Amino acid sequence: MRRYSWIGLVASALVGMVGVGVALGQVTGRIVGPGATRLEIAVSPLADTGGGKEAGARFAEVVARNLSLSGYFRVLDSKAYIEGPTPADPSQINFANWSVLGAKAVIKGTATQSGNTLSVEARLFDVAQRSQVGGERYSGDADLLPQMGRRFADKVMEYLTGERGPFDSRIAFASRRGGRAKEILVMSVDGFDVSMVTNNRTINIAPSWSPDVATVLFTSFMDGNPSLYRADVTGRSLQRISSARGLNLGGRWSPDGRMIAISLERGGNSDIFLLDGEGHVLKQLTNGPEIDVSPTWSPDGRQIAFVSARTGSPQIYVMAADGSAPRRITSQGSYNTSPNWSPKGDLIAYVSRDQGFNVFTLSLKTNQVRQLTGGQGNNEDPSFSPDGRYVVFSSTRVGRPALFLADTAGEHQVQLTRSGGDDTSPSWSMRLP
Amino acid sequence: MKRVRERSIALCAVAMVALLLTGCPAKKKPSVGAEAEGMGQGGLGGGSLENFKKGMGPSEGGPLQDVHFDYDRYDLRQEDRSTLQANAQWLKDNPKAKVEIEGHCDDRGTVEYNLALGAKRAKAVKDYLVSLGTASDRLSTISYGEELPLCREDNEACWSRNRRAHSVVLQ
Repeated sequence: MRRYSWIGLVASALVGMVGVGVALGQVTGRIVGPGATRLEIAVSPLADTGGGKEAGARFAEVVARNLSLSGYFRVLDSKAYIEGPTPADPSQINFANWSVLGAKAVIKGTATQSGNTLSVEARLFDVAQRSQVGGERYSGDADLLPQMGRRFADKVMEYLTGERGPFDSRIAFASRRGGRAKEILVMSVDGFDVSMVTNNRTINIAPSWSPDVATVLFTSFMDGNPSLYRADVTGRSLQRISSARGLNLGGRWSPDGRMIAISLERGGNSDIFLLDGEGHVLKQLTNGPEIDVSPTWSPDGRQIAFVSARTGSPQIYVMAADGSAPRRITSQGSYNTSPNWSPKGDLIAYVSRDQGFNVFTLSLKTNQVRQLTGGQGNNEDPSFSPDGRYVVFSSTRVGRPALFLADTAGEHQVQLTRSGGDDTSPSWSMRLP
Repeated sequence: MKRVRERSIALCAVAMVALLLTGCPAKKKPSVGAEAEGMGQGGLGGGSLENFKKGMGPSEGGPLQDVHFDYDRYDLRQEDRSTLQANAQWLKDNPKAKVEIEGHCDDRGTVEYNLALGAKRAKAVKDYLVSLGTASDRLSTISYGEELPLCREDNEACWSRNRRAHSVVLQ
């Protein structure tokens, strides 16, 4: 398992860039979204400008993986590249060679490593225009190389779509990959960085992120009672937050990081409560005889969606963050659970049972329901990317549960984990600070 | 308490026989399901989580009978009321015994909702036992949702086994 260390990553846009808009217009005209026409792109290993050969190859690998995940790109096989890792000077790039391969865009750059200090400069070129679209420079601890690659991939998505990509972020999830126990793990979306948050060999469930992406909230049976805990991504700092007798379930930080919405069991029934950061009850938000669970905040912190069985079957409701004015928002089906509010605010993803369990989104503006998965195993626990363009969820379509990514149209779907160890309950963080 | 101990010893004996039997055809590999969950163990004083920590399957059997539930339901079936009446009688005959009622679910559906549902199932059993005269401070509840299933097959026979409230005698 790898330890994260995010200190000292410095990124700066390269000065003197060629006007981005010119080349962008040409590129964006063909692309309507992930999964539609994909832009053919080559990601060249970076040129070694001193001790940076390995890092330059690795950087290209990380960028290629993340661009592929995005669905906006078709990354051309690096074995076919004619031009080697030469410097990223437009006058030295043989654009005809890239054009022959079918590349519409090419990424080139340089890497320098001295000791544990790494400097990377990466640039995106429009092959037809023979011009630079944009570039970034990163320097920092060599361990941060994968994060530099993800940041650049996010930047490339911004050049292309006008909006930064979501891959410089983390996914927390529950997994049995270590054996029978269900532990909480954290990984990068591309799967290159994985660390264990818990290793207590019991049952740990329902992870969710603090808004600053520094800590994970989860429910654990480690001490017998299903209590709420907070831990950093290494699991070294562990704090019990709420240990009322019975379920302390599915805690989620408010977007401002000041309160936790949670389901607490009292007298056998679960209701939604607000806690402060130390676990003290601030307010009870629901108070009925039937199950209320799985709160999720609107991005402005003013509303909370949740699951309630108050009409006899689990359905999704939305209420004000003070518990007032609850209204049911799902109208079809007898089993709708696992709501997750998009950071963009417009959609709520959830799970609905028909033949199996599938992921849907509901537009809060138009009430339009869109089915993202179907006919392929059970698909559960959706969680939006920080840019709202994707959801991560667990699926049994290839056997035991694994994590998958889909765009919000459901057209582009990619398998993220292949551990064979029942990866479930993913929670996608906000972008790393 | 005497009856508890006798029952425990009897179950131990059964378990040992089972071990001997499965031990005999030495080359035969256990099925994946059995390997993953172990055999159900019951009446030995440990609840399902304690069993899990020891590498065993969930708690099963014991002096008190399980009751089962329909999918996404926590109301008691008519036939289970007589089962619980027998459990209440046992509690009357063993006045010092304290019991933890575990609520379990099948693995279809959402982890969080199933934990809340398991709590409802355990509470339904507790409420009925209290209505039959058992002191409520002798009965505690805990939900394991879909986390500690007896079996992992994707069929109704397995699912219905897992939708249960199980009572563990704590002392």
